Amino acid sequence: MKGFTSYLVARLGTSLVTLFGVAVAVFLLVRLLPGDPARVIAGLLATPDEVERIRHQLGFDRPETVQFAIFLGHLAVGDLGVSARTSEPVARELASRLPYTIELALAATVVGSLAGILAGVASATRRRTFWDYVLSLGSLGGISMPVYWSGVLLMIVFAVDLRWFPAAGASQPTSIVLPGVTLAFFSMAFVTRMTRASMLDVLRQDFVRTAYAKGLDGRRVVFRHALQNAFIPIVTVIGLQFGNLLGGAVLTETVFAWPGLGQLLVQSIEARDYPMVQGIILVYATMVIVVNFAVDMLYAYIDPRVRYT
Amino acid sequence: MRFWRGRTRALVSTAASLAALLLLAAACGGGATTGTAPASEATSEASEGGAAGQISPDATLTVAVGVDPDSLDPVQQTTTTVSNIVDSAVETLVTVDQDGKLTPLLAESWDVSPDGLTVTFHLRSGVSFQDGEPFDAQAVKKNFERLLDPNVKVPQRAPFTVIQSVEAPDDSTVVLHLSHTSPALVSALTATTAGILAPDSWTQHGNSYENIVFPVGTGPFAFKEYVKGDHVSFDRYDGYWGEKPYYAHLTFKIVPEAATRETMLLAGQADVIILPPISDLAALEQNPQVKVLVAPSDRTIFIALNTQSPKLKDPRVRQALNYAVDKDSIIKNVLFGAATKLDAPSAPSLFGYCPVSDPYDYDPAKAKELLSEAGVSNLSLKFIAPTGRYVQDFQAAQAIAGNLAAIGVDANPETMDWPTYIATITRPLAQNDLDMHFLGWAPSYLDASQQMVQFEKSQWPPNGLATSFYTNPDVEALVAQADQEVDQQKRADLYCQAMQKIWDDAPWIFLWTQNFPIVYSASVTNVGYLPIEKFVVLHARPAK
Repeated sequence: MKGFTSYLVARLGTSLVTLFGVAVAVFLLVRLLPGDPARVIAGLLATPDEVERIRHQLGFDRPETVQFAIFLGHLAVGDLGVSARTSEPVARELASRLPYTIELALAATVVGSLAGILAGVASATRRRTFWDYVLSLGSLGGISMPVYWSGVLLMIVFAVDLRWFPAAGASQPTSIVLPGVTLAFFSMAFVTRMTRASMLDVLRQDFVRTAYAKGLDGRRVVFRHALQNAFIPIVTVIGLQFGNLLGGAVLTETVFAWPGLGQLLVQSIEARDYPMVQGIILVYATMVIVVNFAVDMLYAYIDPRVRYT
Repeated sequence: MRFWRGRTRALVSTAASLAALLLLAAACGGGATTGTAPASEATSEASEGGAAGQISPDATLTVAVGVDPDSLDPVQQTTTTVSNIVDSAVETLVTVDQDGKLTPLLAESWDVSPDGLTVTFHLRSGVSFQDGEPFDAQAVKKNFERLLDPNVKVPQRAPFTVIQSVEAPDDSTVVLHLSHTSPALVSALTATTAGILAPDSWTQHGNSYENIVFPVGTGPFAFKEYVKGDHVSFDRYDGYWGEKPYYAHLTFKIVPEAATRETMLLAGQADVIILPPISDLAALEQNPQVKVLVAPSDRTIFIALNTQSPKLKDPRVRQALNYAVDKDSIIKNVLFGAATKLDAPSAPSLFGYCPVSDPYDYDPAKAKELLSEAGVSNLSLKFIAPTGRYVQDFQAAQAIAGNLAAIGVDANPETMDWPTYIATITRPLAQNDLDMHFLGWAPSYLDASQQMVQFEKSQWPPNGLATSFYTNPDVEALVAQADQEVDQQKRADLYCQAMQKIWDDAPWIFLWTQNFPIVYSASVTNVGYLPIEKFVVLHARPAK
């Protein structure tokens, strides 16, 4: 257990270094974007005096180094600053949006992973048959379909024609279904392909033949013996996929008017709201770090040979 | 393979057939849409009557808009959609009607002193704010003083700084003392920026004097809540002084994607939407379940020509570019008809507008002639246009480049995101290497003075947005005179003369005013517009 504790400490250390790196990068990147936040906020009709006053109120008239020192100082005590666009604390706004993004990301991950694993197993076990080709084609489609296309397609079918689910917004419990499925398509495709590859590898191994030779039921061999051994790369891809999924969530949230962080990120970049963009990217980075950590923890559960030292 | 059988196989094939069905259903989606009527809402609302004057105990009207408010504080907001939302709860002294004419609202009448330095408003009596506070001259005075307070962030303060002091001699009279004559001030006071809030509310409901998050006004709907990124909602204010709204609740859904707004309307999740995908306008007009209102607006769309660029200094070259562009065809084929060709350097709804004598009809032969008269050949111009800011902006820019290529002018447009775009076009002349850029201008109120700022040297970037770097001493003299002229008829004549001169000098390629499409469910009626890109739903009611 001692080894595990020092592993945890080291892991936490690298996570903090990563977050610091992200903070520096995002601070610089938003300021490298051309465009003037004070002008965007003031609107086209504002006079130069008003624009200047707003710039001063936002603190963007100070040298970048001073702004950076203030940003880090505040960050150290957990203060993300005040939004340039809405004059409200960034942390408060993030707190109100985060649950929506987590709900969407979780729904998409769970649905996408389950469907992806099932499709991948089906594909691998019926290799080079009609169904294998159909599923491969389907997952290729999933990767290729942009969410603003597949999302609108789902809306037309399930909201306009069938009226089963709300088209957009987050006002009803069933509102999650369409954005969740849209985003799940995206991750399902990757999981299907990884499951298929990993299963094909495992199914070729001796212990699978032994299991069949023992006279075990086919389904038991596939799901208990083969799938469990194929799991590590699948879980890895689900973890890695999570970062992509957050990226996809930015579009999905915008298409479905889902009030999460992604929609806020788009608005904030359009308004050059530096403090808000910084806050959102830091939250995203934290989520990716946490998920990757969880995936590493899962390895030991899946494969008892894995040890953390 | 052989060990894969039984239920799982059935499951997989079912899933696949479902997927196939889904694609099929999607393919015939359009046809099916027209078949299914939102019967439930139509009948239930019709049975409630819905004639003027009636009110519903609990019905909700849902409007889908594209912009998430940055602020609900009348003085801080800068976006038309946001001011449109705020207008539900907050009223101004004066407003405009559908034709853009000044109309009383919280003020019953007003008069301007002969020297033009004093404006007196006579306020409506018997009006109270949504929190019960009485509306009176003191409240107006406090609001105007807040509007002018430099400690408050007011991006659009400029037209009001002429107010030197505000006096409230009695409960129903407000007197504004001006530092110089400002004939357009009353018009400026129609802007939501000059909306009147209940002063006592400034320290309640989470508000502070500097930042209002919970606006309390005198309007027909009282603000209820704002859930960021999702909706802003209002409840009917039963103490409203005017005609009470039919709907008990009014909700603005925030839906950034145009296609999603359209889908929500078709799915019955929204009753009214603004700005659907412009390419779908024709289909929506054919759909009996919805009504399309294509409202005129005050937003002029143009290509600003850098009149100081050596290539464009000769007015004949700029005129040639105007003759070269086939505006009618572009409006029809690229903008799906959602625009009206310009016949003056301003929209028709502005005070001081007058149509010019020669509207630059499409004439490529004349364009070529003017170019050769000016001794210009092989003209190559640096051209930029935004994407998604105005209706079909970049697409229109490409079509225009095609027109220009036909007279031998090379001007291929480039695009960039909006903040970058504004930063690029507002570079001072010395650092500005653009020859032409695509832009829209909507004056903050319907007065030619707000359009003329595009043509004054004092407004050249970085001081203003006169991005064509145009200057003509005659125009500037006419405008300066008009901006001070108290006699409104003389004032209109002066602007009219200025407009004709500007037109002939051609600092822009004059294009069109952009229309503002509002689409609403056929089960709703009494949806209107103001010619300032605003929709009017406060007195909407179910159609019979």
